[in-house]
Amino acid sequence: MTDPIIPQAPEVPEAPAGPYVYDYAASPQRQVVMPKTVPLPSYRTYQAEVKAAAEADEAKWKKMQADYETAKAKAEAEGKDAPKPPVRPVPRKDDNDVKIPWPQEAKDADLLLLQAALGDKVEEIFEQAGELTCQVAKDAILEALHLCRDHADLKYEMLADQSATHYPAAAGFAFSVVYHLTSISRRKRLRLRILVPEGFVPESACAVYPSANWMEREIFDMLGIGFANHPDMTRILCPDDWEGHALRKDYPVVGWGQRDVAFREDRGGMIERIALQKAGQLGINLKQPKAE
Amino acid sequence: MGVMQPSAFEQILITTKVEKVMNWSRATSVWPVTFGLACCAIEMMAAGASRFDFDRFGAGIFRATPRQADLMIIAGTVTYKMAPVIKTLYDQMPEPKWVIAMGSCATAGGPFDSYHTVQGVDKIIPVDVFIPGCPPRPESLIYGFMKLQDKIMTSSLADRYKDIFEEVG
Repeated sequence: MTDPIIPQAPEVPEAPAGPYVYDYAASPQRQVVMPKTVPLPSYRTYQAEVKAAAEADEAKWKKMQADYETAKAKAEAEGKDAPKPPVRPVPRKDDNDVKIPWPQEAKDADLLLLQAALGDKVEEIFEQAGELTCQVAKDAILEALHLCRDHADLKYEMLADQSATHYPAAAGFAFSVVYHLTSISRRKRLRLRILVPEGFVPESACAVYPSANWMEREIFDMLGIGFANHPDMTRILCPDDWEGHALRKDYPVVGWGQRDVAFREDRGGMIERIALQKAGQLGINLKQPKAE
Repeated sequence: MGVMQPSAFEQILITTKVEKVMNWSRATSVWPVTFGLACCAIEMMAAGASRFDFDRFGAGIFRATPRQADLMIIAGTVTYKMAPVIKTLYDQMPEPKWVIAMGSCATAGGPFDSYHTVQGVDKIIPVDVFIPGCPPRPESLIYGFMKLQDKIMTSSLADRYKDIFEEVG
């Protein structure tokens, strides 16, 4: 087992142009820092990382041996004692270390069943810390959800949670949408995942799990992923006139959304607008008559 | 001797000002509106429950409608989406009405110096008493409420309608 791969600290880029309230030069801790790594759990990526680390280790050992050979030849030519042969460094073991659960090969029957049933549409299956993950193609998510709910050996009756993450540094996709399924009858949990690029509209899960309604609206509000065939694809947390999507990595914590609320003294602000709207719906004239 | 004996008239009557009686009745029966926004509301409920017993001060009757309430305790974080609702509720309350901003979020935005949070409820509605704390203990709320009672007792009808009186002349 190799050492854990620690992501390097990304360089701090210039703050993106926008209508900021705060001076970012005066408060650098408020600057938007775009991530340079893609911390998406994946067995395939983990295997590639392990392989790269092993190759680097081997190359280092080869270089140590070559250096020893040259030093030995040089010492013999000068008539001195031969240097000590190198010892291959052994990775330090510490039983007190926290054992991080790495992604492992899928052995669970559910994942194998999904792979057998969906074939090429399953991109990756793995287990990590006893949790099952199945990554499917972004067009086949509805089929996978139908299978998980209706198959007699799966019976995942509940969509416990649905969320998404923004990965701006990733190549080929921008977001991962994750479906956490729970089987109450079998006491089991399964995670389905799709990777979608910017602008892609995945199929809504409302047709299979009605509980996806508000969760998909939250994803749309926070990250800007629209869902096709959703009954009401509107914002749920932010006000309707909000601009941007707050959980994207390039959205600053302070600045864009903050606005001056000015309807304490001025009743002609938002309240009057809403009142006039309502009055218009009811057919009432709220405007004060003027004497002319 | 030097001691004045009260007359029979004074033994059965108390003389006072109408304004003082009105202030006293208002200060001892302030009905808050049932309205909580975040974790401060839990402390507000604790203040209303039997251990702290907000009702000792006449403020235990949390009304379920703003039209019957005198006091609005802003207990929690005020977001931009909630701001027009708070303003509407405040406008629906009948005069005289008072507002307590409870906790650091309602007072000044608290830790949420971010895109969704109004930095203090006094940007929306006028506030009479600010109570710091995150969240304030029920004792703090009770102390803030007693300060509000002091304010009500020292208030005058003339103050409230001073502008109108000055306009009329």
